[in-house]
Amino acid sequence: MAGGDAFEKKFNEVSNDIPIFNAENIQNNMKIIYYSRTFLSIVGGVIAGILGFTGFAGFVLYFLVMAVTSVGLIAKAKFSVQSYFDSWNRVILDGFLGGLMSFVLFWTFAYDIVHIF
Amino acid sequence: MAEDLVLDTAIRDWVLIPLSVVMVLIGVLRYFVSKLMRSYQTPDPKIVKEGQVILRARNLKSAANFIPPKSFRARRIYLCNEENGLLHVPKGQAQNAQAQMFSDPNMAMDMMKKNLSMIIPQTLTFAWVNFFFSGFVAAKIPFPLTQRFRSMLQNGIDLSTVDVSYVSSRSWYFLNLFGLRGLFSLILGEENAMDDTQRMMQMGGFGMDPTRSLGAEKDNLDIIQHDWVLSKFEQRAEATLRKLVKQ
Repeated sequence: MAGGDAFEKKFNEVSNDIPIFNAENIQNNMKIIYYSRTFLSIVGGVIAGILGFTGFAGFVLYFLVMAVTSVGLIAKAKFSVQSYFDSWNRVILDGFLGGLMSFVLFWTFAYDIVHIF
Repeated sequence: MAEDLVLDTAIRDWVLIPLSVVMVLIGVLRYFVSKLMRSYQTPDPKIVKEGQVILRARNLKSAANFIPPKSFRARRIYLCNEENGLLHVPKGQAQNAQAQMFSDPNMAMDMMKKNLSMIIPQTLTFAWVNFFFSGFVAAKIPFPLTQRFRSMLQNGIDLSTVDVSYVSSRSWYFLNLFGLRGLFSLILGEENAMDDTQRMMQMGGFGMDPTRSLGAEKDNLDIIQHDWVLSKFEQRAEATLRKLVKQ
């Protein structure tokens, strides 16, 4: 049916522009992302410190941990990110730099305790 | 020669670990103290009402194309006609609301309490660190830094030959101050983080005129081009059902 097709096209066009998300659920999902990133940056910092990474290697480890987190989150969203978040950047970039200070702190802490004294 | 530097284990046992533990405990204490001091103020019904009207207008704006033109027009007129629409603000009241907000002493008091509960522990801890743990190397940062950081990270140590990555206890304090924020949000739950964002929102909303946002929302609603996307929905449903019946 031609009319149906045209209708469907129009409907898809319009519904792409319209935010049909539940704001509270989005916020909850964002919070989960934030928590997992913070937690993993602390764990990653301790790991980097115990393994004795210095300089560039430690930051590489941080980026690796964050990348793994992103992959984990996407897997948790059953690879259909669009149905849980309003954009890909949310999953990949949000909270990326927020965990860096925690990472550096725990990295320094573990490194000092294990290797310096 | 920087590699040869050996730090006393007493520094670890009596400076590094205690400092971190103390800062975590102070953070937890501050959280509970501010929780106790928080005064619950009954929200002003007028402000709540305005907020709900704004929410309603936003919902109408975002879902406008899913309702028939007639319903949309009815809702728009209800919200923003010039005589008694909910979004329409009479001229005289605009200043009044703002003045009332500024003169509310409870709000200013609350904000001052929050700020004080932030500043006092920080100042005390900083003074404590400066008094007890200054003048020696306390930690080593595991990444290299340039000479520029020397004056910031090594104050109290007047040795220009020591590698910059060896830092004094004051730097360790600052590292804790910024790095523990993530840990707090994990161990104290969402309320801690929410408190911060709420404070931000309050700061932002403090000088803002609530009636102005009503006006902005009214303008937004006025310029909407209504375009009903479900106009052929009955026919489509009929076609689908017929197809189902045929099968």
